[in-house]
Amino acid sequence: MDVAAGSVEAWVHRARVAFVVGKGGVGTSTVAAALAVLAADGGANVLLVSVDGKPGLGPLLGGKPLSAREQTLHSTAAGGRIRARTISPEQSFLDYLELKGFGGMLRRVAAAASFDVIAGSTPGMEHLLVLGKIKELDRERVADLIVVDAPPAGHAAPFLRSAAALQDAVSSGPIREQADEVAALLADHGRCHGVLVTLPEDTPVSETIELAYDLEDRLGLALAPLVVNGCWPDRPGLTMTATTAARKQGVTVTAATKRSLDAVVRFGRARVDAQRAQLDRLDRELPLPRVHLPRLPVARLLPEHLDRLAAALGTEPIAPDVERTGGRR
Amino acid sequence: MTTPPATDMASVLRDSSLVVTCGPGGVGKTTTAAALALAAAETGRRVIVVTVDPARRLADTLGIDGSSANDPFEVTGAGRDGGELWAQMLDAQATFDRMILDRTDDPERARTILTNPIYRSIAGSLAGAQEYMAIERLHQLWSSGEWDLIVIDTPPSRHAIDLLEAPDRLVTFFGHPVYRVLTAPGRSLARVTNAGASAFLWAIRRLAGPQVVEDTIEFFRALAGIEAGLRQRAADTAAVLRSAGTSFVLVSSPRAEAIDEAVHLAEALRIGGYPLAATVVNLVHPTPTPIDADTLAALADIGDGPLADQLTFHRELSALADAETREIRTLRAHAGSTPLVEVPLLDDISDLAALAALGSLLTSGL
Repeated sequence: MDVAAGSVEAWVHRARVAFVVGKGGVGTSTVAAALAVLAADGGANVLLVSVDGKPGLGPLLGGKPLSAREQTLHSTAAGGRIRARTISPEQSFLDYLELKGFGGMLRRVAAAASFDVIAGSTPGMEHLLVLGKIKELDRERVADLIVVDAPPAGHAAPFLRSAAALQDAVSSGPIREQADEVAALLADHGRCHGVLVTLPEDTPVSETIELAYDLEDRLGLALAPLVVNGCWPDRPGLTMTATTAARKQGVTVTAATKRSLDAVVRFGRARVDAQRAQLDRLDRELPLPRVHLPRLPVARLLPEHLDRLAAALGTEPIAPDVERTGGRR
Repeated sequence: MTTPPATDMASVLRDSSLVVTCGPGGVGKTTTAAALALAAAETGRRVIVVTVDPARRLADTLGIDGSSANDPFEVTGAGRDGGELWAQMLDAQATFDRMILDRTDDPERARTILTNPIYRSIAGSLAGAQEYMAIERLHQLWSSGEWDLIVIDTPPSRHAIDLLEAPDRLVTFFGHPVYRVLTAPGRSLARVTNAGASAFLWAIRRLAGPQVVEDTIEFFRALAGIEAGLRQRAADTAAVLRSAGTSFVLVSSPRAEAIDEAVHLAEALRIGGYPLAATVVNLVHPTPTPIDADTLAALADIGDGPLADQLTFHRELSALADAETREIRTLRAHAGSTPLVEVPLLDDISDLAALAALGSLLTSGL
């Protein structure tokens, strides 16, 4: 696999567009926000884009819910900042019309047919419009880095594949040009990268492996280090009973305390073992370096948690241990 | 309606002929649907579970393989007292193809549709196609009268009631004046005189190029014959979804993003007139037995080491369990008097016994 070399921290300052993708529930929005924080902390001017209009990204960065109107969420001592907005197919459509000189006719067209009919009658068009808008933003160099919180897997693949699909279906005309330009952006390893996000669990790992090969083989998308979110802490103390642990630390604890700790340790050990099995699978089946983000013991992430995740994201990636596990490439 | 809502999951299953699971992605919705279906089959009912895109592990558990896509098959070893569990995996493209073949009298016309480039990309990728296909399949299963209970797992969706809105959207689409003009018989493109339609065509031609326009019109014309049937089924299905035998089961996890989406969805269901019958919260972390404050104070400065690791993990897990309890409380408020079942974080389900255990957990009451 063609992989962006070096740390995520170095990489965010080279890439211009990053699509953050993963199965629903793995935390792509969180990782997109942490990536933006990491880049901005290093002095970059970042535009964070939510494709499916998840409003929660704004509050996570200490701002208002996201909307199509850009807001500045974060400025750093290093001169970096994060602006954020949503990009909807409808808005992209209007922007595209304007770009193509449809300004004066806009009202007539809008009166003639709703957006649903136009987009619905040209499949993949909704996705292509959004990707086209991102491509335009990159062309205008509105930011050093555009971080796109892409729709979840299942939807991520059709989203990113829309340009290739329209290239197959349409042989000429403006849509074809747009599709060609978007496909060129996706395959341009100097400009654009995919950031895959997963959890150390069976189903997310399976889907990530599939998605990684799909995005690279079919779209030529360069992949950044894989982000494994929600990793359980692998602390040495979780390998032994409370009795042993107490003896090693030279203290005595009551039987009730031991029981409570033993139950917690058993649970933690089971999670860590299951996680190890999934990381081993990644070692064997996906030749991508990885960064592991800790599972934070909170149900609702707050802006202060993002700094911890951004710091973890900036650590040196772990190379997959192919030697040990006998990987396929 | 005078019947009060069921207060436990077993009653919800017993009293329903259709269960629709819905919720955000990544919360174990498909597994929940399968476990509920299995639990119902264990009570002697003939049940089919329809899933959109089961994870491989679950597909293996049920015995689904690639070749059985789109055809119902019996899950061996499931069901008691004469009950049966069947499963079916939905493939949007295959369902769409079959629908075209079933609804088109003229094979030549069917071929025209199936090979049309616009159709090829619509059937796989059109927004809402999967949702629409789920509805289409639901209609077939419902009208066959073969099943005591149908459990349908909706595609994960942020715009959660896509599935329910798909029939309406389709009716709106086919009812659009532009569509009507385009599909009117005996008209060539050049003779489209309706002002709205010609502006639409002008826009599409400039935006998409002439080839797309030709393909689009051909596609719409070819579809014209099956439109009435589509509308009728969409209307029938909408009625079934609102009928008394239909139960919506909301599935979430205790994480804030999922809870926020689930709350949004519960609200959308209520507004849409689809009553919520039960809520399932998966992936709940265990609550550690508390350690008394004096013990914790005495152990506060023991320094780094294995016991400190264990105490830290205990503290983190306790904090997490508290936070999750608070999040679940939000959802409980929306559940009202309907059952809400919490399911602990489990290992991946990899055999029928584990799925049956989950089913028992879901139906054993509050």
